Amino acid sequence: MQNQEIVERSQELFEELFKEYKEATALTSKQKAQKIMGQLDTWCDSEEGISRIYENIPKLVGAGILKDSPWEHPGKLVPALVNGTYKSGHPNSTIELLSELRMLAIAKGKMKSDEVSAAEAENFVQEVIVYNLEFVFNEPQEETRLIMSGHELKKVHSLFLFLSNSVKLSKVKSKLAEELKLICEQRPVVTEKQRRIIALVKEKIELDPNDPEDEDLLAFQRSIYRPTERTTGKTFQKYRQELDKLTIAELEYEAKEMGKVMLQFGLVSQYHAVLLLHLVRKELYELVPPCFALSAAGEARYHEYRDFVSFLIVQVIDPFNAQCLYGLAKMLENGVLAREAVRSGLFNLSKITIHPEVVKRILKSTRTPHEKVTPKQYLIGSLFRILGQPLGVGQGNNPTCQSARGISMWSQHAPAKLIHMVQTAAEYDDLSFRFEGQEVKYSQTQPGLVQVLDHHLDAVSVTLVPMLDRIYNDMMLRASGRGEDPHKWVNPALYGQWIQIGFASAYDYLYNAIIDFDGFVRVFYSMFHPKYNGGHRMVYPNPVGIFVTTAKGEMLGFHAVSLLRIDEDNTGELRAYFLNPNNEGRQDWGQDIKPSVYGKGEIHGESSLPFHQFAARTYAFHYNNLEAAGIMNNVPAKEVEKVKKLAKESWGKSYTWLETKRKW
Amino acid sequence: MAKCFALMGWSLPVIESMQKLNKPYVVVSYPDFEGYAKENNIPFVSYQFDEWSDSSNSLDLKAKLDEFGADVAVPLFEETVEWAGALNSLYRDDPRVLNRAFLFRNKAMMKRKALIGGLRVGLFEEVYSKEGVLNFMERLNQANLQIDGEEDSWVHIKPFASAGTVGHRLLRSKKDVENKCVDEDFPCLAESHLPGKEFSCEAFIHGGKIRFLNITEYVKLGYSNFIPEGNYLHTKRDKIMKEMQKLVDIFGIQYGMIHPEWFLTENDEISFGETACRIPGGHILELCGKAYGFDALAAFVLCHDPDLTEEELAEILPPLDARPKEFYGNVMIYPHKNQISKLIIPEELKEESYFLDHNLIPPMTTQKISDREGFGNHFGTVNFKGEDPDRMTELLLHYENVDFYH
Repeated sequence: MQNQEIVERSQELFEELFKEYKEATALTSKQKAQKIMGQLDTWCDSEEGISRIYENIPKLVGAGILKDSPWEHPGKLVPALVNGTYKSGHPNSTIELLSELRMLAIAKGKMKSDEVSAAEAENFVQEVIVYNLEFVFNEPQEETRLIMSGHELKKVHSLFLFLSNSVKLSKVKSKLAEELKLICEQRPVVTEKQRRIIALVKEKIELDPNDPEDEDLLAFQRSIYRPTERTTGKTFQKYRQELDKLTIAELEYEAKEMGKVMLQFGLVSQYHAVLLLHLVRKELYELVPPCFALSAAGEARYHEYRDFVSFLIVQVIDPFNAQCLYGLAKMLENGVLAREAVRSGLFNLSKITIHPEVVKRILKSTRTPHEKVTPKQYLIGSLFRILGQPLGVGQGNNPTCQSARGISMWSQHAPAKLIHMVQTAAEYDDLSFRFEGQEVKYSQTQPGLVQVLDHHLDAVSVTLVPMLDRIYNDMMLRASGRGEDPHKWVNPALYGQWIQIGFASAYDYLYNAIIDFDGFVRVFYSMFHPKYNGGHRMVYPNPVGIFVTTAKGEMLGFHAVSLLRIDEDNTGELRAYFLNPNNEGRQDWGQDIKPSVYGKGEIHGESSLPFHQFAARTYAFHYNNLEAAGIMNNVPAKEVEKVKKLAKESWGKSYTWLETKRKW
Repeated sequence: MAKCFALMGWSLPVIESMQKLNKPYVVVSYPDFEGYAKENNIPFVSYQFDEWSDSSNSLDLKAKLDEFGADVAVPLFEETVEWAGALNSLYRDDPRVLNRAFLFRNKAMMKRKALIGGLRVGLFEEVYSKEGVLNFMERLNQANLQIDGEEDSWVHIKPFASAGTVGHRLLRSKKDVENKCVDEDFPCLAESHLPGKEFSCEAFIHGGKIRFLNITEYVKLGYSNFIPEGNYLHTKRDKIMKEMQKLVDIFGIQYGMIHPEWFLTENDEISFGETACRIPGGHILELCGKAYGFDALAAFVLCHDPDLTEEELAEILPPLDARPKEFYGNVMIYPHKNQISKLIIPEELKEESYFLDHNLIPPMTTQKISDREGFGNHFGTVNFKGEDPDRMTELLLHYENVDFYH
């Protein structure tokens, strides 16, 4: 009731401002319009508020609120530009919002336009939705998160909920398929986003099996909702009953089909978990490798550790905890399970009691926890995914690229250490690290970068990240004031002693300037470029600091990635392959620098850039300090110039540059 | 009926009001505005107000304005008060009109005039140096029978001719005088601190009589005010009206609008602070027009016209005894931090039923806030509207302290 009163009152106040606006001449109408925008801006926190603005749209547009602005002509608007405008904040974002609602009103026949038909308007709205899925699902990308305030995010999320509830998405099928491919090709550990898009497609688009255009989207649908013929029209409970009636040959067919479907996009259906559990319980061990879609090497490992794998399957896998099946399959493929320490760690983990605080975090991250699945099952399941897909670890909507990078590195190079960390953290809700001979304990540290953890993360990350973030922050404080980037000392202490001693930074703390960038680039080339480093390969991942830039090449902020390997792609171009913990497939760093996530020789989860472009965004990395001085001068000046030009014309504009030579 | 109003100073809302009234007008302002005026067919005379010489003076300006047939000059801003006074002296063939304009531009002179006429004012003096302020404070202490160890009497210093709060300093002690006063402050007016509730009045005058009186309640000087006056101040309306008419008589004001500031003590004594005769700051006429439902800017301009008829006056102004049901208030928003990067509209404001609108804009990038002049530049205004003046007061007080910029 009180709510109703507020709504009526705000409509009344709106009418008052609107009247003033209508009565104003061109001389003051801009100021009056600004006031209306200020008022409407405060309505935008909910879908309900957006729908109230929508009700007033014909009136507002009729009165000329979009006149003499870039939004005046609906026929001239471009869906791809909408996202950037939302990021620029109020008042532009509020005008943009009115423009979208006008388009929707035209699409719905609520308004008429001479410039666009209802069908064209609907198409426009659909395209805008696809370009802005980050807002539909409220999972902003790195750049968005840095730029937008909480209020603006809420506003745009409310708008896109309203838009996506108002139209179908039939005209943007290929764009949605592309979006899904961009996500799935990276095989992220958290599969919520692609599942939500697939569910959105199911709800919004009627797909035709006979239409080749729909093939891609149907494949995604099938991978979750109907992985094999036999699952058609059945719940997984029904499917389970049916399995009892199948012959061995029929079961083998099911297992192969399931495995194949899983490999396609890295997505696991509930039916798949049901089938695997059935095979293990019936002791049909020969059928497990095809069900996991294992290669010969993976199959050999499975047979070697069969009893232990069966133990893990029964302990952890459930139709409501199915996705970890893919992780376990990948663990068999990458051999991590062959380590005694890993097997012991996993066994120990299955025996612990999880601290109630950690239980809370795990259940929160699961979103819709199922009563039959215990928090421990979620935790170990998530660990399977991380150990099986180290490059799929993501930071979610959190400024914790450092922690995500660490989890990924340990998963590859210190898996038993990672498992032990998870075990300690889960049992005691506490964690200890060593920094230069002193103990750094989570429970005794100050808050770090994370104010409020966004729980769109896997169960391992929600267990570890709050602690790692604070420990990292504490180490940074301890190492600060030394006149150099504290990462020089923090990286090895946090990630592991295999991080090299030498630390190159383009940025000089004492002079607050970029000093001897030429030397910096030379060291980078002489360490990583096979032509100048003696044809060597990289051994361990290198924690690299990069400048993130906007699509216009403007400095945006700092980001932590790890450089994994340098290789030629299938066209012979030398590329840097790296882990970007923000799992974005559609990045544009300006100057035509666009990290690719598939199709250029990337392993699932890797991003890549041509070597010199990666160098042009790097500002810090570790290197072998005994080696660099001798070989850095072999790098030709032409190469250095190429990198320097890119750097100077983008992030470099934010700094002073000094040409003084430094000792490397 | 005036043949043509010369609007002294550039104000789009005033121009709009004139266009709507369909009254002849010409705008006089700095050359910067000429282009815009031409594009929008606004009659315009470009003039360098800050220059006074053989070729830039009121006779010269009058000659330029004669082409438009101007016969009434209206000062919109503090800096144009003398210009308008000089022109109106010529138009009305009465040299004292110009002298009266000087009265508005010199705070010491206006106080003296008020004192002679029998208005209650504080103790004041023209001072020329720090020493002068210290001596003034000392004499004030003596008059207040200060005993050793007691606090000093408060003293305000103000430039003679600045608008509103610009250059205004409150000095609470001799130490304050040492610390806060700078050489550039002098000469200026020093005056004793007036106790009581501060408010302002906007009196629309024609033929030497107040035709409409608006009372603006100050919640906090420089930050917030609302219109019409709250219930308590309203009970004093007759008394205020009497003092106001006294002021008009003493100053000999015939046409236009004045807006003095007053202080009302608990003993019902009203003291005169200062007055101006141009458009008041703080969006007061905007609030006033909304609350009483008339075009306050148009009324402001028209009241300057000696030939305005009684019918026209009745049409443009609300009745003298009007009392609106709804109160309009605003609070000016200043950043509280030295460096800001974000605008955050508080959740509670979105649910506030008195909230009308705001025109705040986020800072472009991280922005440093420069030192304040007067109360500094506000970043925008938040407007409220509601039926209960006490609730209005609470809200304005509250939002003055809310951080919108982080």
